[in-house]
Order: sequence, then structure tokens, then C-alpha cells
Amino acid sequence: MTPPKNPMPREIAPGLFWLGDCLEQITGGKVYHTYNAAYLLVGTDACAMVETGHPKDFPLISRQLDGLLPGLPPLKYLFVTHQETPHSGGLGRVMHKYPDVQLVGDMCDYALAFPQFAHRMVPLKGGDEIDLGGRALRLVEPVIRDLRTTWWGFDTGANVLFPADGFAYSHYHEDGHCGLCAEEAISLDIPEVSAVFADRALFWTKFTNMNLYIDRLQWLLDTLDVRAIGPTHGLPILDPAATVPRIKAGLLYGSAVAEMGPDAGGLAPMA
Amino acid sequence: MNAGTGDHLATLAAPARELGSAVHTLVEGRLYALQNVFGLGGAASAYPANAQGYSVCNCYLLKEGDRALLLDSGLAVHASSLISQIARLIEPGTRLSVYPLRINEFMSVSNVEALADAFDLEQCYSSNADAALWVDFGGRSDRPGAKADPVKTTLVKRAQRLHVGDEARGRALEAFQAPIRLIGTRWIYDEATRTLFTSDSFSWEWSLEAEGPWFLDGRGCSTTAAHVRSFLLNTRYWWLEGGDTATLRKKLAVVFDKYDIENLAPGYGRVMRGRDLVQRQYQLLDDVLASLDRSVVQARYVDRDELR
Repeated sequence: MTPPKNPMPREIAPGLFWLGDCLEQITGGKVYHTYNAAYLLVGTDACAMVETGHPKDFPLISRQLDGLLPGLPPLKYLFVTHQETPHSGGLGRVMHKYPDVQLVGDMCDYALAFPQFAHRMVPLKGGDEIDLGGRALRLVEPVIRDLRTTWWGFDTGANVLFPADGFAYSHYHEDGHCGLCAEEAISLDIPEVSAVFADRALFWTKFTNMNLYIDRLQWLLDTLDVRAIGPTHGLPILDPAATVPRIKAGLLYGSAVAEMGPDAGGLAPMA
Repeated sequence: MNAGTGDHLATLAAPARELGSAVHTLVEGRLYALQNVFGLGGAASAYPANAQGYSVCNCYLLKEGDRALLLDSGLAVHASSLISQIARLIEPGTRLSVYPLRINEFMSVSNVEALADAFDLEQCYSSNADAALWVDFGGRSDRPGAKADPVKTTLVKRAQRLHVGDEARGRALEAFQAPIRLIGTRWIYDEATRTLFTSDSFSWEWSLEAEGPWFLDGRGCSTTAAHVRSFLLNTRYWWLEGGDTATLRKKLAVVFDKYDIENLAPGYGRVMRGRDLVQRQYQLLDDVLASLDRSVVQARYVDRDELR
């Protein structure tokens, strides 16, 4: 029997809520679930939304926000890590529903895709911060990126990193992983699901030396003193010291496995 | 730096909505490039941050009998122009299909809903069975009283023959995974017009003028390897330097050896016409990839904003 999904939204750090839902994908005859998450960051003066979720997720995320926002400071900002629709697909609907929200980050493409909201788009660059009161959302180096325009986000209040397509891996719905954090999904084979994700979405990682990116990633985690990680596609990580080494192993394995064949019949053996 | 609390943040100016458009006929009655201009100056993720001038977003209309196929649906800012372009080219009763070559990107999917409203949209081709969910930005489904009417999806494998029209009498197209790509991307070869549709590859030809020109033949091409190299490294391919480009070159060679290509039809920028020009452009790309291989140059981490 298929287990129910664990309830969302979920507060993964004080004033930081994980929103969204999974997207089912079938690879090699196997069913994988992957998040296209959004996050709500609550300051004393304002709230910010990080990512919008996949286009299909807006009705659910909208209901999740309806349940969370009453009694909180106003939602003033939307930060989207980059322009791919699993990250930004709800942008138009968020901007429409919340007319006072400003879109912040890299603004490439958005005025072409949503020209009606161009006057509410605020271009920011690396190191810029949006003050929410008691905490800020800072733009930081995107070590593993999906477009040249990617920015990662960092919450200075709870030291949470929002790494977009970094830490991207599927999970097993049948094992009850939906809505769990990485440390709770005990049966999750992170190298295997990282390789599946890389094959589908991070083609470039198979053609470069990923050790360079892993070293830079560790540098960023150390420099920022990251205490939790809120990826868009993976399960949130609450114990980086325990989980990040598994993620690194997954990235290296995913980059070393040959591409799947034309019919995506499953992972090819190690090259 | 602290960007502030919103009171003093500088917002963008709205894009110019009417920078220009053009319909470029590749084969009369069979293949048209529907081109709509947009400004660069850091506004487009597909171009280097320091690129100045203009480019075009290209959607391609393939006509065959009472069927037509549109490759990519264009950007929302161009929706009205694109719909007018299509309306002028197809006859009443023509059934239109659309194939977003990069289902994750706005340039491919922004106008699918608008096309479904404006035309008899038969299907959306995709490698994702749930493509209808990927192209629904609420334009139709959020309307009061909207009926559930998702666009029909026709699933395409990683490599597959498609037809404009029915399988027995229609026009065959070969769809396959792009040999070089950043995200999930399909290329298409149309034997009837000897055209290779390359999505976000071969899109390094833009213009300082909004008027273009927006197509290129051998006589007007002065592109250099240095330009192609800089374009690749400053757009989607920052990771190429010191990487395994030998494998990518082999993948590309398979495509260019297999197909007889007279036209290169990228999703952005000038359309390229003529076998000699196609060969020259491919050779430029191959030479640049060879110069970036790990056997020639050492890989290093590249910061987001480093221009090369």
C-alpha cells in the first residue's frame, strides 16, 4: 500500500517554512519523486518567499501560504534562484496574488516572460541583502548552477543555504520519504538518486571535474557557517556535517555514471 | 552590501514591446522562421551579461497539408505578434501542434496557453508525460469558471521519428536529445527542408541593430572562433574549459555526419542558410571544443560573474 505523504508545510528552522509538493518521474521503469520546493522566510518586518515551485504547484503553495501568512509580517519579496520553470513557474501567479511583492535577484528573462510585472522587478547582485527584520536574505555564489544567471540564497538568521539545483536528488515515495528531511529518510540511497537527477537535469556534471565544484562547495559552507540547507529539489538537510559527505559522494557518482540510453532504460554501468 | 528594505530599490523599466518582428521564409509553404526582437544589455539568460544590441526569439512553423507544427512557443512579451504571424501563414481549419524544445524555459513554453486559446491546438509534444502541467501558468486555468481543458500531450522518447500530419502521408522529423546542452533539450532534423533546429545552440549571431539582419548566408559571415569561445563560456557552457569535450565533439559529429543540413535554425539569433555556412559554423564549434578539452587546458572552478 502506498504510504501517505508527510504533512507540509513544515518549519525546518525557526521562521523558515518548507512549502510545495513532489513531482513524480519515471526513470528506468522506477518511480521517483522530486521536490520543486519553495520556502517562506519570516522576519520581524517582512516575509520573503524563496522559489515559487513548479507551475503545477501554485494552487497548493497558495493554500499553504494562506494558512501561514495571517498573523505574520507582510510578504514583501520573492527571490527566485533562476529562470527555469520548476523554480520560477509560479512567478506570475505569486506576483498577481500579492500585488505588493517585489521580485528580487537576477532579472534576466522575467520581463520578457512577465512584462506586466517588470515595474516590480529588482535586480540584485552577489552579496546584496534584503533586510527582513532580525534576519536578511543574502545572494551568494551559486557553486552548482543550472543557468549562468543562477544565484543561491542565504538566510543570515538561521544560517540556511538555498542552493537551487545544488543538492538535487530524488526520493522514494514508497518508503514514505515525502515531507521528510534527508536525515530522516534512512533508506534513501543518495548516490543512486543523485545519479538519476544528474542524468535528467545536470548533464554538464558528466563532462567536468566535479571535485573542483565539491571543493568550492565546502569552502562556501565553511565560509557562511551553514547550519541547514534548503534545496529546491532534494530533501532539506538539517545536519550538514552528517549528510553533506553523502551528497558529495552522490555528485561524484552521478558525474561518473554514463548517460542513460535513448530510451532511458536505466542507469548505465559505471564507465 | 545591503540592498535595503524595498523603499529605495530600483526596479526595471518595462521592456519595449514593439522592437520589431519578421517572418523569414526558408521554404515557401513549408517552413517559416517567426522572429521577434528583444534587447540584450544583460536582459536575457541565453546571452553573455556584457552582450549589447539585439537578438530575435525564433519559433519555427512547419506546414504540411492541413497540419502545422510550431517549434517553441516564444516569450510572452511577443505573444500578440507571434499569434498574428501564425494567423497569416496557416489556412482556416489547419490543426496546430507545438513542441517546446526546452520544457523548463520560458522561451519554449510561455505562449502555449495563448496558442491554445487562439488556434485549434491538436497536441503538445514533450518528453514529459505531464507536459500539460508544465505549460499551465494560469492564463486559462485560473479564469473564473474555467473548464478543465488541459493541452493534450504526445510523448516523445529521447530519440524518435515524428510526423507533421499522419504517419502514412505526413512529413517525417527526427527528434533527439541535443548532443551538447545545459538542460533537457531536443534538436530536430527536417529532411524535407534539410533544416536542423538547434534550440539554444548556434545562437551566437546577434546584431547591434534592432533591424537585424536576422538571417545569414555565407557572404555575410565573419564569425571567429574567439567569438564562439567567448559566447559559450559566458552563457551556458562555463564548465567546458578543461572538461571532456572530446565526447561532446563525437556526439556532435554523429549529427553532422548523419544529416544533410542546408539550414541551421537556432532558437535565438540569426538563421543560417547554405551548406558552406553550416559547415563553417559547425567547424568553428568543433575547433573551439577541441581547444577547450582537458587534454589541452586544465579545468578550474569558474565564478558566476567571471567573463572570459
